[in-house]
Amino acid sequence: MRTLVVAERKASDLRRVSLEIAAKAKELGDVGVVEIKGERYSPLAYTTALAKKIEADKPDLVLIGATLNGRDLAARVAARLGHAYAADVTAVAVGSGAALVDRPMYAGKVRAKVRVPLPAVVSVRPGALPLKDAGPTPQTEAIDADASAEKLQFVKFAEVASSGKRVSLAEARVVVSGGRGLKGPENWHLVEDLADALGGAVGASRAVTDAGWRPNEEQVGQTGKTVTPDLYVALGISGAIQHLAGMTSSKVIVAVNKDPDADIFKIADYGVVADVFEFVPAFTEAVKKQRASS
Amino acid sequence: MKILIPLKQVPDSTVRVKVAPDGKRIAADGITWSISPYDEYAIEMALERKDSDPSTIVAVVTVGPARSRDALRQALAMGCDEASLVLAEEEVAPLAVARALAKVVQDAKPDLVLCGKQASDDDQGFVGPALAEVLGWAHVSTITKVVVSEGAAELWREVEGGHEVWKATLPALATVHKSEKEPRYPSLPGIMKAKKKEIPERPFASLGIDANAPKLEIVSLEPPPARGGGKILKDGDAKALAERLATSLRDEAKVL
Ligand SMILES: Cc1cc2nc3c(=O)[nH]c(=O)nc-3n(C[C@H](O)[C@H](O)[C@H](O)COP(=O)(O)OP(=O)(O)OC[C@H]3O[C@@H](n4cnc5c(N)ncnc54)[C@H](O)[C@@H]3O)c2cc1C
Ligand SMILES: Nc1ncnc2c1ncn2[C@@H]1O[C@H](COP(=O)(O)O)[C@@H](O)[C@H]1O
Repeated sequence: MRTLVVAERKASDLRRVSLEIAAKAKELGDVGVVEIKGERYSPLAYTTALAKKIEADKPDLVLIGATLNGRDLAARVAARLGHAYAADVTAVAVGSGAALVDRPMYAGKVRAKVRVPLPAVVSVRPGALPLKDAGPTPQTEAIDADASAEKLQFVKFAEVASSGKRVSLAEARVVVSGGRGLKGPENWHLVEDLADALGGAVGASRAVTDAGWRPNEEQVGQTGKTVTPDLYVALGISGAIQHLAGMTSSKVIVAVNKDPDADIFKIADYGVVADVFEFVPAFTEAVKKQRASS
Repeated sequence: MKILIPLKQVPDSTVRVKVAPDGKRIAADGITWSISPYDEYAIEMALERKDSDPSTIVAVVTVGPARSRDALRQALAMGCDEASLVLAEEEVAPLAVARALAKVVQDAKPDLVLCGKQASDDDQGFVGPALAEVLGWAHVSTITKVVVSEGAAELWREVEGGHEVWKATLPALATVHKSEKEPRYPSLPGIMKAKKKEIPERPFASLGIDANAPKLEIVSLEPPPARGGGKILKDGDAKALAERLATSLRDEAKVL
């Protein structure tokens, strides 16, 4: 069994998901780890370089982190080579000519066990394969993106001035999300202060991103991000099925809502019936106090 | 200009999906079907372009069973100009769907193809990039905005911390993450007009494409683990509740 791992870097470090898939690949058999070097990801330049590498090495399985760029690259390279493709898997094993993977389907409402015929390309959800111990950073082979295949022209990067230094939503171990119950963007410091006290990321319901209170990239749910943190805190969120699709696999769910009949309480491990404007500042203080004393 | 949107009919987002007794598919009863949400965003994005330039033609197509006509009809009612169906009662391998769509693209000659970022049944996000690959076109994934000018399109792609802006010469393909506005509801005149429109249909087999492509085999489906039976904290002032919660999270749940 030969696996090619495609590693991705964020700033100077390999992404955590790259370490996760490299460790998994080692369990499965022989491993090669490549990293594609280019100024920035673009589908054709990266696909062309990777496809050449795959054709030369002929791995049975290609593992790529299911990041924004990783999912895009994985799909296109699988199409180019005519390999089977499974997206965003949460578990990988191999057996009798196939990869056996777990993956969410139906907008995360169902978990599927799927047989993927080899050779295959599989993108793996960040955080899904737990790293037992970090171990040595894998040796990567660098290959150059193929600029000659490029058909797009990069115009600019339009930055959004917000979140800044906070951890990214997809990888965060703690997520604090705010909903329409927060009443307006001017109250988001309540969400942010709690997220900071917990060392977590900030999320939002679609009602909030649709209203323009927060950027789209913070939306959690069926048409937003799927998150699986150790702790998910929902503040002033009603618990619509499309929101739940993005967060019900979190380990521990806390919900704060002033309506005792809110649907979110049906899936919460800890439901607090309270007004967010009174409860959240008090809870942030309690968390800080506990952190300081431990 | 002409914009073509390949769309997929999927269980509506409000449906509580149940697993069928054989454990390999979802139960068909009680499902209402809709256009996949990201495809709706793609339609809205195209219709916004049509609002500002009425000469824009917006066409939709799907590869699917007869019931997916309803999704095409819904797209027409939203304001799309044309719809066509590639009839396939049996499930088609995803790469073969891309090949079928490529055939449709070659016949229809759109300037821009907008797919959804992923269909909310298989959650794969494969067919968009695969269609671009079969066509030999560039693509940009997960866009939230398109600005068309002289033979080119500026495609805004949402990434961590902002947007990458890419320029593609037309024809080009993008997958859509979100439109600027919420997908519009069909208007009454829209519904009336849609009823009268022809939806041409051709059987998948008549396209003469290679249907041979790898398929994923579902071994089993499971609902996500049931949750519930959580603790409700409600009596006491905010400070007392906050301290109870913090203590529970530290001592019982062990997440603090
Ligand atoms: C195709 C489709 C896709 C969708 N995708 C998503 C998605 O990805 N993510 C998503 O989130 N939604 C999604 N939705 C929208 C979803 O259906 C809901 O409309 C949305 O989640 C509601 O957001 P909310 O809970 O913030 O607002 P509301 O439903 O308005 O709930 C606000 C809650 O705040 C509580 N509240 C009010 N004031 C206070 C207070 N002072 N203190 C405490 N609690 C208070 C209220 O009791 C209420 O429960 C989608 C919908 C569709 C149709
Ligand atoms: N059977 C189909 N017919 C038309 N378009 C499709 C079909 N399947 C997928 N697509 C398009 O490809 C996108 C991604 O689908 P998927 O790869 O299934 O996640 C969808 O949002 C549609 O735009």
